[in-house]
Amino acid sequence: MSRTSPEQSRRIQIIFILLLIAILVALPQVIKSDSTINLAVYVLLFVSLASSWNILGGFSGQTNLGHAAFFGAGALTTRMLWLSGWNLFPSLLAGGLVAVALALLIGVPAFRLRGVYFAIGTLALSQILYITVGNMLPMISSLPAQDLAVYQLAPRYYLFLAIALFTIGAGYALINSRLGLGIMAVREEEDAAESLGVSALKHKLVALALSAFFGGLTGGAFAFYHVGYYPQLTFGPEWTFDALMMVYIGGMGTIVGPIIGAVFFVILRELLALNLAEMHLIVFGTLFILVVLFLPGGFMGVWGKISKALARQQ
Amino acid sequence: MNERYLNWAVRVIGLVVLVTIIVACAPAPTATPVPPTKAPEPTKAAVAPTTAAPTTAAPATTKPPEPTKAAAPPAPAYIEIGASIPLTGKFGSLGQQVRPGYAYAVKDINDAGGIYVKEYDKKIPLRLTVYDDESDPTKAVSKMETLFADNKVVAYLGGAASDMHVATTAIAEKNKVPYLGIAFALNAIHQKGYKYLFSPFPKSVQQGPDTFTILNALILDQSQRPLKVAIFQEKSDWGAEQGALWKENAVKNGYTVVVAEEYAVGTTNFVDLINKAKAAGAETLLALPNQPSGEALVKQMVELGWTPKFSLIIRAPENVTWSTNLGKNGDYVTIFPGWHNGMKFPGVDKLNAAYQAEFKRPADLLTGPSYACVQILAAAIEKAGTLDRDKIRDAIAATNMTTVIGPVTFNPDGTAKVLDPLIQWQNGKLEMVWPKDQATKPLAYPAPAFDRR
Repeated sequence: MSRTSPEQSRRIQIIFILLLIAILVALPQVIKSDSTINLAVYVLLFVSLASSWNILGGFSGQTNLGHAAFFGAGALTTRMLWLSGWNLFPSLLAGGLVAVALALLIGVPAFRLRGVYFAIGTLALSQILYITVGNMLPMISSLPAQDLAVYQLAPRYYLFLAIALFTIGAGYALINSRLGLGIMAVREEEDAAESLGVSALKHKLVALALSAFFGGLTGGAFAFYHVGYYPQLTFGPEWTFDALMMVYIGGMGTIVGPIIGAVFFVILRELLALNLAEMHLIVFGTLFILVVLFLPGGFMGVWGKISKALARQQ
Repeated sequence: MNERYLNWAVRVIGLVVLVTIIVACAPAPTATPVPPTKAPEPTKAAVAPTTAAPTTAAPATTKPPEPTKAAAPPAPAYIEIGASIPLTGKFGSLGQQVRPGYAYAVKDINDAGGIYVKEYDKKIPLRLTVYDDESDPTKAVSKMETLFADNKVVAYLGGAASDMHVATTAIAEKNKVPYLGIAFALNAIHQKGYKYLFSPFPKSVQQGPDTFTILNALILDQSQRPLKVAIFQEKSDWGAEQGALWKENAVKNGYTVVVAEEYAVGTTNFVDLINKAKAAGAETLLALPNQPSGEALVKQMVELGWTPKFSLIIRAPENVTWSTNLGKNGDYVTIFPGWHNGMKFPGVDKLNAAYQAEFKRPADLLTGPSYACVQILAAAIEKAGTLDRDKIRDAIAATNMTTVIGPVTFNPDGTAKVLDPLIQWQNGKLEMVWPKDQATKPLAYPAPAFDRR
């Protein structure tokens, strides 16, 4: 039996990916339950958010504990512009760009230092924004009744799908580019990379800007999706730590790890919540601890080990 | 490198799609029925009422009309209703008071055979599905959609706290499902033009004037009234709304606002505000903190030696742990929780007995209003004679009945004309001091200094 050539294999994989994307695109037409589409929206939201966190945390090795600041900035900007009459797409773009501006504001000074300063800086930034937005914008942001009357979930689903694919695609393109190799070189050994002419600061800033941009876009999609919330909500620490946990569960520094982590995390948590009432937090917490203890490299780590074992057997 | 990542991408996207399809095709998750209602068979005859419940409040207790000759369509096994409640998280203590009210009301109605629905010419029991939204509005939205899509609820029951209601009421409006919610005083939600939102709970527009009219009615000697007012206003939409109403009504009723300061939601540092109030000689404290801010406020008042003659601290003292944690320092504080277990309305005794048996204390403050929500809904379903959501909504809007919280009618914006009882912590117990005809104790006034209790 002849083995498939790498080129044939690549073609099959591309066709397979396109087919899967087509299925995802067709999902709202096939499944009419808003409950399921809603769950799919959450999965896609966290796929985007975790993947955007992973661009900085996974590929460049910089621990960002304030990703909620970028998510929240994107959400706030988009919501304000969109509800004031702007078209959605310019509003989303503006949300992403505001998130980038914020990221550079904290990144430029923090990246000049080493160690935990960046993590502390981002955490402080998100907390400052959380409190400041709560104080300055205490009013509800809810859709007017006439908008609710024509609210449809499917366009929101497609927006999240597009952003998720865009984020994943950007991550894939990045790690296969010269820029991405530089970013990963900085992650592996900053001094060595610098000695080879790779500017650590520049590469870290690029990764930060990309991460913030996609985090901001995801926040913008959330602003388009959610019917009513207090603006402070989107700056809450849970947006950072949920995304971070998903990346750790799935496998940090990989393209597919955040996707697996988000799917596992969101679906499991939702199913437990629907079936176990307030007990679900205990069960979910226990499962999470077990995963972290026994799968230190996340699901992708296990997959890697299995693949190697299979390869050795062959 | 490329191929390796492409392989992974293919596998994982495949997994995503597979899981999505499995979830989509899986049967709806079994909801948590609350409580064990012992729902009778739909065909079972109505059980006679065991207490003097108002006839309009418990439709099941009314005698159903004679069956019509025409063949009725097959009735559903249950009337599905659902709630997304913060049972855990920062509003968990409120949600834990709300849920039993719903559960007991459903049980009482089902024990009597269910609700007579004319369209089906029979009594149908209620089935309540409750999900925990972890005090997270985003999760609450998801749960509300599940209740609508999977459980096909004919009506929603609300959770607790404005943060949660602001998200869930919008979903009810979007899905055109009647929504009965309590434990939020924010009036702004009702000004959004929502048609499906109803709240049999006192709002800030009622509590603003009530604060001073009740004080004047309880302290007849004008020279004894605590005329110098300090307002500690939470930086939230509810805080701004309530603060403005307090300021406006203080002046109208002969009071002077000597301090009006803001604090951030969740703060535990009130030192500056207390010092300003103390320096201005404030005699009344009006504030809106949740926990743990509320307890921190009182502890710092003790440390700084400022005891206002009268304190109205809305929300934090509604927690059952208030007195346990603060001891005598928690006494004399008043609240506007919408209900008290000492109210003299039909059904309250039965509710207290059930609560006592399960929780070893009479019903909590938010349990009565949540019980009333189900009473109102049941009456509306019976009045509508159908499970059509729009007709149930119209019947709720036309509500005019007595519940465990007293008489209830609704305004066009979904707010209600309900009693606004003033409750006070006295000797570690919650006592009702207003309205006078319902009061369990007179107002304890003025509050003695903390070091003399």
